[in-house]
Amino acid sequence: MSLTTPRRRRARTAALLALVLLAATGCADDGPGAGPNGSIKIGLLASLSGTYQAVGKEIRDGFELYLSTHDGKLGGRKVDLIVADEGNGAPTAVPAATKLLKQDRVLALTGIVGGGSVAAVYPLLNETRVPFVGSNGRPELKDVSRIWHTSYLSDEPGEAIAQHVRDNVKGSVYAIGPDYQGGWDELRGFTDTFVKVGGTLANPDGKTTFTPFPTTTNFTPYFARIKASGADAVYTFYAGSAAVDFVKQYAQSEIRDLPLYAAGFLTEGGVLDAQGEAARDIYSVLNYSPDLDNAENRAFVAAWKARYDGSPTTYAMASYDAAAVLDRAIAAAGDDPTPESVNAAIGQLGQIASPRGTWQFSPTTHAPVQKWYLRQVRQDGRALSNTVVGDLATVGG
Amino acid sequence: MAVDIPIDPYVVPALDGVAYGLLVFVAAAGLVLCFGVAGILNLAHGTLYAIGGYTAAALLDGGWPSLLLALAVGVIAATAAGALVAGLLTRVAARTHLTQALLTFGLALVGGSLLVRAFGPDDQPVRVPAALDGSVVVAGHRYAAYRLVFIVVAALLAGLLHLAVRRTRAGMLVRAAVDDAEMVAVLGVSPTWIRVGVLAAAGALAGAAGVLGAPIIGPGPDTADVVLLLSLVVVVLGGLGSMTGTLLAALAVGQIQTLGVALAPSAAPFLLFAAMAAVLAVRARGLAATRRTT
Repeated sequence: MSLTTPRRRRARTAALLALVLLAATGCADDGPGAGPNGSIKIGLLASLSGTYQAVGKEIRDGFELYLSTHDGKLGGRKVDLIVADEGNGAPTAVPAATKLLKQDRVLALTGIVGGGSVAAVYPLLNETRVPFVGSNGRPELKDVSRIWHTSYLSDEPGEAIAQHVRDNVKGSVYAIGPDYQGGWDELRGFTDTFVKVGGTLANPDGKTTFTPFPTTTNFTPYFARIKASGADAVYTFYAGSAAVDFVKQYAQSEIRDLPLYAAGFLTEGGVLDAQGEAARDIYSVLNYSPDLDNAENRAFVAAWKARYDGSPTTYAMASYDAAAVLDRAIAAAGDDPTPESVNAAIGQLGQIASPRGTWQFSPTTHAPVQKWYLRQVRQDGRALSNTVVGDLATVGG
Repeated sequence: MAVDIPIDPYVVPALDGVAYGLLVFVAAAGLVLCFGVAGILNLAHGTLYAIGGYTAAALLDGGWPSLLLALAVGVIAATAAGALVAGLLTRVAARTHLTQALLTFGLALVGGSLLVRAFGPDDQPVRVPAALDGSVVVAGHRYAAYRLVFIVVAALLAGLLHLAVRRTRAGMLVRAAVDDAEMVAVLGVSPTWIRVGVLAAAGALAGAAGVLGAPIIGPGPDTADVVLLLSLVVVVLGGLGSMTGTLLAALAVGQIQTLGVALAPSAAPFLLFAAMAAVLAVRARGLAATRRTT
């Protein structure tokens, strides 16, 4: 008889799950070869496999673009860039960071897509006393003396757009997002500020609806709840493949006529191509758009288009800026740059010219004080693109 | 009525649960065939679905002919892959389920890597025929047109499958093989050919589900795992050797994943496996396992 007992079947399912989890850890791409003597080692950790691999690749490409447009040098020294794979989060990020920090002994670390990964790598950074110039995720951290971010704090996009939504939506707004640290921060930034300026949330209990992540691929049941709540608009944050599912299903749902406001990552980068027409008219808030009109941005976008397909994203821009920060800090760190001297130099940089416009590190949070832009997905030539339609608040610090 | 329960908000999730459940049914039916008849736990089953999904992503261009082409190519490719699995399993067929599981899981890993190498690591966008790329109003609610049509097509497939298993000679042999493989061998039908046939048929079903279901569970690096997991849950819930049990289990999984989430969003991460645990605790042989004599 071919039948097995359910007990063994369950054990097998569990074993299968374990195997699948193991198999999910990908392999890292190798960075460029080692430079000649006197070169410095910079570690770049980003998701080159898993849910956020599109973001991880933008981060790697943005940093490499800065190097290739600056003779492969930072602060006048040849750079040996060592790239490692962050995977889906802490379980893969920690071993990769351990290798970069303890085995390769890099001068500085950059990248890291997930806030959870940053939190998990944080004790290692403290132990090895290596400065970290992050270009994406930023969790709540106690001591940021060696932590810098060129991106944003996760609650800032929502904070920056809340007043605009309050002024432009007549009625209540439904808040929905993914159930993990990044989602909690993004949504809290919006809901806290929105309620503070007098807005009303449509969520039944006044609390944001969080969807299981990354297992939620069907948002229809949630759309039914939004419909039932009588909301007049929706605010959300999703990224990666969840953003594609959310937007495509939203456009065919019964709430498709409700204006959709989002943290810019919902329609940023490759996901916009996958969403196609479904993304049209979505409003989003972000610190960057490739159509910003300033000299740094024109040079950045031109260099990007010469080297890669499509337009650069905020992820690539933040990583490009991380390289610019390290460039100036290493140059200012003297003849023999050490992790300590580079870290001290970053604190003295002041205004930084960037494709997003000029910004500076907040002395307290070590994240940018920067302007945020309101964008809408509109036709741009043959493709849809995030077009800047206005300035929002300057947030940070 | 003493209690006024608002039904209206749950119409769309319930309808969507049917679409989702039927998709899971067509995907899982092949796995049930394999396990129940050939005695093979085919952990590469999700990969067969992914082959169909990637075919859909590659070939669909918004027109009807491309849908037919994708369906044909996807079914043929997945059928061939199923037959390949059967061929590779010939030597270990007599061994334990663990050996089969290891071999087919290895095949799933290899297949997954090949698909990612061929199509890239991103989730692939799928273009449904333009006529269906919109929404329609059902009972006062807006619902995706493609999913509505999918319900009809998948129900048709389920009906055909039922007829094939019940009424055709091949179906009878398959059912006979479930009950007594040795007696079928004595009748002059090679068990090897039944195994190859069943795995190829399972591949065809998974391929069809992959092409038609691509707009619902889209092709990406995780697709094979998701589909395999859902199929295994359906196998556990529905018991083996019963297509009716499989259908009931698949529809239940669909409702749990949609209506269940709409009713109790905070429990969404655990609903599916809580339901599985509950069914196992109450009826260890599944929802509708047929009574057997040994």
